[in-house]
Amino acid sequence: MATSTQGSLLLHKQLKDLTKNPVDGFSAGLVDDSNIFEWSVTIIGPPDTLYDGGYFNAIMTFPANYPNSPPTVRFISEMWHPNVYPDGRVCISILHAPGEDPNGYELASERWTPVHTVESIVLSIISMLSSPNDESPANVEAAKEWRERRDEFKKKVSRCVRRSQEML
Amino acid sequence: MESEDDMHDANDVESLDDFYSGDAAASDDDERDFDFAKSDDSDDETFHPQRNYTILSEDDIRQLQEEDITKISTVLSIPRIQASILLRHYNWSVSKVHDAWFADEESVRKAVGLLEKPVVDPKLNAVEVTCGICFETYPRYRMGAASCGHPFCCSCWTGYISTSINDGPGCLMLRCPKPSCGAAVGQDMINTLASDEDKQKYSRYLLRSYIEDNKKTKWCPAPGCEYAVDFVMGSASFDVCCNCSYNFCWNCTEEAHRPVDCSTVAMWILKNSAESENMNWILANSKPCPKCKRPIEKNQGCMHITCTPPCKFEFCWLCLGAWSDHGERTGGFYACNRYETAKQEGAYDEAERRREMAKNSLERYTHYYERWATNQSSRQKALSDLQKMQTEHLEKLSNMQSTPESQLKFITDAWLQIVECRRVLKWTYAYGYYLPEIEHAKRQFFEYLQGEAESGLERLHQCAEKELQVFLDAVGPSKDFNEFRTKLAGLTSVTRNYFENLVRALENGLSDVDTHGTCSRTHSSKSSGSKSKGGRGKGATSRYESTQWSCRHCTFVNVRPNTECEVCRQRRQNASATITFRL
Repeated sequence: MATSTQGSLLLHKQLKDLTKNPVDGFSAGLVDDSNIFEWSVTIIGPPDTLYDGGYFNAIMTFPANYPNSPPTVRFISEMWHPNVYPDGRVCISILHAPGEDPNGYELASERWTPVHTVESIVLSIISMLSSPNDESPANVEAAKEWRERRDEFKKKVSRCVRRSQEML
Repeated sequence: MESEDDMHDANDVESLDDFYSGDAAASDDDERDFDFAKSDDSDDETFHPQRNYTILSEDDIRQLQEEDITKISTVLSIPRIQASILLRHYNWSVSKVHDAWFADEESVRKAVGLLEKPVVDPKLNAVEVTCGICFETYPRYRMGAASCGHPFCCSCWTGYISTSINDGPGCLMLRCPKPSCGAAVGQDMINTLASDEDKQKYSRYLLRSYIEDNKKTKWCPAPGCEYAVDFVMGSASFDVCCNCSYNFCWNCTEEAHRPVDCSTVAMWILKNSAESENMNWILANSKPCPKCKRPIEKNQGCMHITCTPPCKFEFCWLCLGAWSDHGERTGGFYACNRYETAKQEGAYDEAERRREMAKNSLERYTHYYERWATNQSSRQKALSDLQKMQTEHLEKLSNMQSTPESQLKFITDAWLQIVECRRVLKWTYAYGYYLPEIEHAKRQFFEYLQGEAESGLERLHQCAEKELQVFLDAVGPSKDFNEFRTKLAGLTSVTRNYFENLVRALENGLSDVDTHGTCSRTHSSKSSGSKSKGGRGKGATSRYESTQWSCRHCTFVNVRPNTECEVCRQRRQNASATITFRL
């Protein structure tokens, strides 16, 4: 319970900060004002990438023991990317608790630690959009296409971008 | 009479003392190492009387761990906490730590996260600092940091540490929360910041890590046993007897299974797992519904089968064709002309043969399994009888026969012999199952030895169980007691000899019957030293000479030319390699 209040205090603080001083590249708010653990973020496709011009909506769900455990992030907008599961869930290493891989401690720095905030997570996702990691893909099809048939990959992504604009 | 008895007794007691440690009172190290191969003809024995392992209690483990930490801490001149982190990183190998550290201290420090000085300047003049997790500002003294100096408030540290401890043993490798920092968080911080419960868990993980990450130590696999075993690598025998009295094989951690080797035991255990035998049973006793493919067992009735809902397909059991094509014209409900005709044309041969083989293989397996399991339960029974004997009967008997308890040791010895023989006998059935049918001479020899040993053991068991009961039920001293003593002691020694022969023969792969004098001769010449490997390894090879082979995956018995299992389609393993070797 103590951790839960710690988590909600921290999230309230971040929400206040982000509303007062918005960060370039995304906007964030709550899905439902009564629930501080569920955020809705809109990520603007980073310029000079295939996702340029898109407005992608995602839901961030925080666990009760945030910041000691990571949130999950899921795109609501259609998304085609090697590191995004077909159902929209984002797969990046900083969203994985170090405990999930007891032997992978050498990569601990790339995994979840409590210093991460909504801002640092979204910035990681933006950087993921500009440079996909096809070594450990969440969407194998997308990864194969990205590697072997870049044209088709581009076409699918621009369709996602167009759809996201229509949704506005 | 008297003198003869005494002589018998003296001999037995003396030789048995070498073999057994199992006495409740015996805690002497050397005694525990009993071994069948340690026979009287000591000239061909390479066995060392010292035990090749040490049983460690929790206190011993802590002490060893502390000693290792002290060693590293002294030699490297680093704090004990750091020495502990370092040792954990190198799987508690003192020599590996030495090698790595003296080769390149800087890169070791970096990899393990041991910083020499903080990377963050501890602004001593700053009164208040912001926590990197909750972004609250606190006075300096309420902040904590690992060796790197990155400050976080105590409550965030507590949450961070507690989450990691409750995630499992990964907490032993905890690092500073700041990504890219990597400074190790040691037990000192855990002890100041974690709850008592978490501290205990942490120290438990640390202790476990010392056993589990170390190559030369393992926990005793007996349920609830808290001892660990420190094994001297490269020892000839893998048999370990834990202080909890559980006997197990250090190599595969299954229960002790000499003289049968680990791979045979592994195959046998896999075979005994319900999954694989179910498969053979289903294959032998059922046919799949032609429509939905669910297996159907026909236990009675006519050939008209209706599959259960939702399928409800009606078909003929014999030819598996739709029932709508059947009726009086095809022979009625109890026959099928279509089947008979097709069978004569040879259409069903393959499927029939497969089912027949599965049935045979199942029967063969059942034969060995029943005997294996019976000996297992006999052994359990004998163990509890032995215990009862030691705790109550011996005293009673001693009073009744006016004999000192020390003179009744022959009874305990007999029971210990029974327990050990049941164990050996049990595993010889796993051995027998895998001994190829084609090796007639070996099979005969094996079955002869096994039969001798078994009947000896039955006589001994009978004598120890039934004939002893008479004296337990008696009201006063009995003059037959000395006769009984002679008989039981004699049977014990005879049975021991039989089993020694059996064990020795199995350990050198039954090579005494190999009249062709091929590779097994070279094996047997002086192989007793490396008995755990050499002997049965050969047996395993020759298994492939048979006309059949058991699938490693589902255990189905396939015929020789096939290289793929008929049931699960797995490729036969090692087949070609072994054949080349044998040819």
